[in-house]
Amino acid sequence: MHTISFHVNGEPQTVRVAATMTLLELLRDRLHLTGTKEGCGIGECGACTVLLNGAPVTACLILAVEADESTIETIEGETRNGQLSALQQAFIDAGAVQCGFCTPGMIMSARGLLRRNPEPTDEEIIEAIAGNLCRCTGYEAIIDAIRLAAAANRAREDDSLLDAAPPRDDEGAADG
Amino acid sequence: MLGDFEYVRPRTIEDACKLLLDGGGEALAYAGGTDLLVDIRNGLRAPKILVDLKKIGELDRLETRNGDGTVIGTAVPLNRIAEDAKLRTRLPALSEAALTIATYQLRNRATIGGNLCNASPASDSIPPLLVVGATLHVEGVDGPRNVPLDGFCTGVKKTCLKMGEIVTGIRIPPLEEESRTAFLKQQRIRGHDLAVVNLAGALSPSEGSLRIAIGSCNPTPLLLDPIETGSHSLDALADEAARMAEAAIAPISDVRASAEYRRAIVPVLVRRLVAKLMDGKEGA
Repeated sequence: MHTISFHVNGEPQTVRVAATMTLLELLRDRLHLTGTKEGCGIGECGACTVLLNGAPVTACLILAVEADESTIETIEGETRNGQLSALQQAFIDAGAVQCGFCTPGMIMSARGLLRRNPEPTDEEIIEAIAGNLCRCTGYEAIIDAIRLAAAANRAREDDSLLDAAPPRDDEGAADG
Repeated sequence: MLGDFEYVRPRTIEDACKLLLDGGGEALAYAGGTDLLVDIRNGLRAPKILVDLKKIGELDRLETRNGDGTVIGTAVPLNRIAEDAKLRTRLPALSEAALTIATYQLRNRATIGGNLCNASPASDSIPPLLVVGATLHVEGVDGPRNVPLDGFCTGVKKTCLKMGEIVTGIRIPPLEEESRTAFLKQQRIRGHDLAVVNLAGALSPSEGSLRIAIGSCNPTPLLLDPIETGSHSLDALADEAARMAEAAIAPISDVRASAEYRRAIVPVLVRRLVAKLMDGKEGA
């Protein structure tokens, strides 16, 4: 067993994990962050996409022990104080969700894209989500959603909130 | 849970080599894990120990120095290679090849060393490195050695690495200012896919030579003998290269394409590659 410490959506975590546990199992089964989905389990579908130190990765092909000393962002971190992020709202406004199973991974890939490239071309959007399979939408509405989020340039503001990342559960303590 | 293994994270190359040697065949070098973890999940490999190389600082460097070529550490992820400004200018064949491997998410994990050591006949990174004469820096408990990439792969998924040895880096010799490289990949779909055929070329005007390497048509990626460019016209050079390629390939039929298809497409792709190298455009 290995003891690892890391941050998930701004919150510090310390857990003991077996060497054979994947990051996806750690998130879903141990931390109960079930927004991240398992599709294929072999890195083909992108449903388990999360940000590891800011970079989109497939959590099914990473060992939990490798998350030691890292920063992880999942779909649960998109929503702040009950408010959807602009990117999430854009998926709703563009009708980019049908069955919804690919959506968390799509949004995390899009989040990674908008952070490194706030004004992507359609071609860059397509390249960024090429690793996220959707069997419902035909992708057009998803591309619309990401374009919408980028055009509003609101995603960038979401990021500045995310990047500030003080531990949220401590925030009210001094006031009390 | 994947398989039944222990995980170790050495901080030095020396420690990594010792762990691999002590583990015998039961310990495997672990870099990006995008091939190895899939194999473990599918029961194709069952290591007892994974030796993670990613925390060994010197395996993570990527440096291009004028007049001194490029050194790429084995654990450099493919996206860093695809996005490196100097490589994009000096060795576009490698940047373009890296960009065609898997997906953005996987390229953030998959490493150049892993792509080489996996020794797939369809490896996309090997042909561009073959045509520029890359050398691998290998370290083991008996000390370091340099291994030309041409000959490193000894068969399908087999390399000349000995027990306890790891590839620590790739050395690309300095390229002349006028030299050009190009990469082409034939795949079944526009999205991510393994190569039906991939090929890279390097044109050296000062040496008057053209080098071409072809993947997915032999048990290991194949480097053709150098072709003298001389005063050949583009068409004559393309014909000569296509003829040499057809004579050297020995394709098989697999899930991606038939041997007949590969035999038919290789001369077409070689002509396109030569055109791309000569005039910067993809011809016929």
